[in-house]
Amino acid sequence: METKLLTEFYHLDEFRFLEGYKKHGGYVNLAKALKMQPQAIIDEVKASGLRGRGGAGFSTGMKWSFLPKNNEPRYLVCNADEGEPGTFKDRLMMERAPHQLIEGMIISAFAVGSKKSYIYVRGEYYYPVEVLEQAVQEAYKAGLLGKNILGSGFDHDMDVYRGAGAYICGEETGLISSLEGQKGQPKLKPPFPAVKGYLQKPTIVNNVETLAAVKYIIRDGGAAYKKFGTEKSPGTKLFSLSGNVRKPGNYEVNLGYSLNDLINNEGGGMKPGRKLKAVIPGGSSAPVLTAEEAMKATLDYECLAQMGTMLGSGAVIVIDDSQCMVDMLGVLMHFYHHESCGQCTPCREGTGWLNKIVHSILEGKGRLQDIDLLVKVADNMKGRTICALSDAAALPVLSFVTKFRDEFEFYVREGRSKVRGSFYAQMHH
Amino acid sequence: MSVVQKAGQSSKWYLPGIVTGLGITLKHMIKNIVSKKQMVTLNYPEEKYEYSSRFKGNHILTVKKDGNIRCTACMLCATNCPAECIKITADENPDPKVEKFPIAYEIDILRCVFCGFCEEACPVDAIRLGPEWQTPGLSGTNFTYDINHLAYRPSLKGGIQSHVDDEERHKEGI
Amino acid sequence: MPKCTINGKEVEVKDGQTIMEAFYKTEEPIAHYCYHPGLSVAGVCRLCICDIEGNPRPQIACNTVVTEGMKVTNKSEKIKDGVKWVLDFHLINHPLDCPICDQAGECGLQEQYMEFGKYDPEMAEHKVKKHKVVDLGPTVVLDSERCVLCSRCVRFTDEVSKTSELGIFNRGDRSEIGTVEGKKLDNKYSLNTVDICPVGALTSKDFRFRQRVWYLKDSETVCNGCSTGCNVKVYFNKEGFFRVKPVYNEKVNGHWMCDEGRDIYKFLNKDARFTTGIVRQNGAQTEMAPGALAKELHKEIKAKKDQVAMVLTGQYTVEEYEAMVSSMVKEFGVTKIYHWVNNKESFDSFDGLLLRGDKNPNTKGLLQVLEKHQIKGVWGDLEAGLKNKSIKTLIVAGPENKAVFDNLESYVKLFSQAEHLVWLGAAKVDSLLSLNNKVSIVPLKTFVEKEGTFVNAAGLEQKFKRATTVVHEALTLTETAILMSGKNLTVPMAQIEKPAFLENKRRQDQVMLENRKKNEFVFKRGSL
Repeated sequence: METKLLTEFYHLDEFRFLEGYKKHGGYVNLAKALKMQPQAIIDEVKASGLRGRGGAGFSTGMKWSFLPKNNEPRYLVCNADEGEPGTFKDRLMMERAPHQLIEGMIISAFAVGSKKSYIYVRGEYYYPVEVLEQAVQEAYKAGLLGKNILGSGFDHDMDVYRGAGAYICGEETGLISSLEGQKGQPKLKPPFPAVKGYLQKPTIVNNVETLAAVKYIIRDGGAAYKKFGTEKSPGTKLFSLSGNVRKPGNYEVNLGYSLNDLINNEGGGMKPGRKLKAVIPGGSSAPVLTAEEAMKATLDYECLAQMGTMLGSGAVIVIDDSQCMVDMLGVLMHFYHHESCGQCTPCREGTGWLNKIVHSILEGKGRLQDIDLLVKVADNMKGRTICALSDAAALPVLSFVTKFRDEFEFYVREGRSKVRGSFYAQMHH
Repeated sequence: MSVVQKAGQSSKWYLPGIVTGLGITLKHMIKNIVSKKQMVTLNYPEEKYEYSSRFKGNHILTVKKDGNIRCTACMLCATNCPAECIKITADENPDPKVEKFPIAYEIDILRCVFCGFCEEACPVDAIRLGPEWQTPGLSGTNFTYDINHLAYRPSLKGGIQSHVDDEERHKEGI
Repeated sequence: MPKCTINGKEVEVKDGQTIMEAFYKTEEPIAHYCYHPGLSVAGVCRLCICDIEGNPRPQIACNTVVTEGMKVTNKSEKIKDGVKWVLDFHLINHPLDCPICDQAGECGLQEQYMEFGKYDPEMAEHKVKKHKVVDLGPTVVLDSERCVLCSRCVRFTDEVSKTSELGIFNRGDRSEIGTVEGKKLDNKYSLNTVDICPVGALTSKDFRFRQRVWYLKDSETVCNGCSTGCNVKVYFNKEGFFRVKPVYNEKVNGHWMCDEGRDIYKFLNKDARFTTGIVRQNGAQTEMAPGALAKELHKEIKAKKDQVAMVLTGQYTVEEYEAMVSSMVKEFGVTKIYHWVNNKESFDSFDGLLLRGDKNPNTKGLLQVLEKHQIKGVWGDLEAGLKNKSIKTLIVAGPENKAVFDNLESYVKLFSQAEHLVWLGAAKVDSLLSLNNKVSIVPLKTFVEKEGTFVNAAGLEQKFKRATTVVHEALTLTETAILMSGKNLTVPMAQIEKPAFLENKRRQDQVMLENRKKNEFVFKRGSL
């Protein structure tokens, strides 16, 4: 069963515009929030147990309280650089309900005391940028942005910034570098962005879904929000279901929802005559789950972490038995090789190396020791770099090779895929 | 340590020894006259001895397919040379794939001990010890072999081509 | 002041200092490419990983601040294996052109490989091809394939020279160092990028392919290119001098030196020097032993001491000035001693980092000695004296580094007004050999061939020692002074016990120096 909290009015076209948004309770909560104390909002968010929806799942209220308590200018940045393969929830949220995001952002900015915020949108998202820019203009005209918002004395400016199309700019420090006009490369931590971020000032970077959810926490209160989902992973979440299911798409469900139900109820089950082989539960960088594991999994941070994978951005990629895992890994490795920023050596060279090994296997030139080499290289890339891209490339390799080793060995031995008619085999053999 | 032999009684009788010696000489003389095959000496320089093709004689600088010198002027041979007889002057090659090459390569053959370490040290098969060894000269300068002599002397017939293929090396990413 | 333990050695560091600095302090070896003590922290090479007790993940030493009681080690098997792998990542796309790479012999990758590596590479695929022999500017050549993207050079141009010419272009393993189109790496400190490059990616056009580094000996001395007095190392062998590199000295130059200073080796070599004493009279030229020539001058100076004047440049050591000036004043009573300043307009200029307009290393020292002997020569007096022929014999201690004396020729013309010009100097000045008056030339030794003291613009006395001898016949100014005063050179020169600038303990840029010595090319049959 879907739990429509954020996506309640997404089917209405008028929800995209200020008029229609206001009709359905828009900006009421902003007025309510502006009357509250900023600290009270932070406490409310903390009480709700809201966790970052971008991938890491870090407590939002906790993140906000890391800001230094002084009068330094600070920035709020909305991370809408949705680059993770398989994820498309932010696009929907920006296209269908830009004002929902803007309202959430103004409330959050008021809570953290920021006078300027940015929405960093992925370079490829032309249409969402258009929608957002139009929405921001509307908000400025209606006095919801700018000086003295709704007579509260709170000033806030908002800008929409379009990236140049790099996966690494979805990483918060990489995003900040890009926003500063530099090459999009992650920065060394410490110092963390909450202390020294954009232009060396304290900066909070939150995902679109996280910021949008703040509005509902203000509306119903933290305790009410906490009732959704599980004890440790409260709230609802949008899952981007894709792959070999009948009805791929975005579905908002409670956290803790069964993965099996998501695939078979919301997703409409597998295509006729196909069997589930594997599921990647949290975007391409999450380790893969086999069919048996997937049946047992529930969609919350704890359960998936226990299974050695992660919820990530909530991109559920369903793989059926017509897919070749070596092929899949080849595509993934090509992606990470292409997107590595080239700063840290293990990632710069490692992603290229992994890509070359997987592709030599795909071309039929693989050696049996290459499979072990994949594991060794991935093992030594893991946790050795500034940001998590290296891990994101290494974890799929480790899970693919350990869980589907037979397919790799078959490919090396026979020079062709175990699954007949795989994509790469069609292209090259 | 010197060993003093006491003059014994037998050593006074030297005549039998001389006769035995002369006998051996006579035997060899007759053998050489009768059968030329058993002769151990050569009529040098009319006759010349055929050495093994692996004989380590005068140096050769090998060439590439296009006839240029294979040497990259890495100076490993000069570094390795126990006699310090190799002198190389390197320069920038206009071809960026070659990058470095020798504009002068001199071997002082009188100092050379023909140990072959240069050949062993060479990473690109640029220097070899050839089978030539009869290279007389009239003055000291004749024994400092320059780059042209080492690579293109008439006996090499346009240069010895190296086994190492440049194209292959570049493709392999070296 | 937190205390920490580095490989079992306890060390106390300042607040906010990193583990890397603690490693430097204890002189424990730690591998690193991107960290440089003179630049900001980049943390990209990931080679300086070390184990911190209580932390499950290895941390990089260059960006982890020391906290009280921290126990750090990089000797554990886990770390050694990790370093080996990171090194392997560095090497998989690194070309195997060590034979033609100029860095071979002082290369960070070679050192680390000998320390942690010595394995067969597992990479079976083709390496990434990038640009080779890229002309970055007038001084530097780039080989992108050899580059390990440590970003030291980029940070140098951003932070030290503040010219920001370099940047990293492209992404992933296709990244390359480069300059923006149409811009060149052209600043007064550009060759420092070559020094800090841990591999052979950046090479100096001047030194490229001239010598293999293992043929070179080095010796520390003080640069005589300008009055900053940077501490430098000169590299030489029996064929001559080949290059100059900076040596860390916190008080003077930090880690850097200018490109101009790197040219000073050029006038040290024999072909740029006077090698014998020369006497020219009435168009005839005779060569003489320098010592004999100096001794012959004794009579002449003694006979007409009122008509003798002396010109000194700021390029000699304090000891030499002292010997020369005191012998002139005390032996002969000559007080017409003048200080030759060649570029009066830009003399006091300073570019804020290292370069000074005063191109003499020891102007302060000369002025101190002149003051001590109460000599107040005004340059105008000399010019007037030469014009009205009251100065008949002029002794000039000319510049060693004549390249910085732009208008040398016009000065030679001025000096040639004297009846007898005695030129003491190392640099070969061709115009002296075409003068019509009597000229005696005494070849002198350059600063690398003698020991002494320079006083730099900040007033810091820096003692240096002799590196080698290029022209054996040449004299020092002290020796000339002794010979000119009619004595013999029997007294050996005073030995400098402790060179002052060597005392302040330097941090080595590469801590692996011991391994460098170990890895020197030693032929062992079958083991290489």
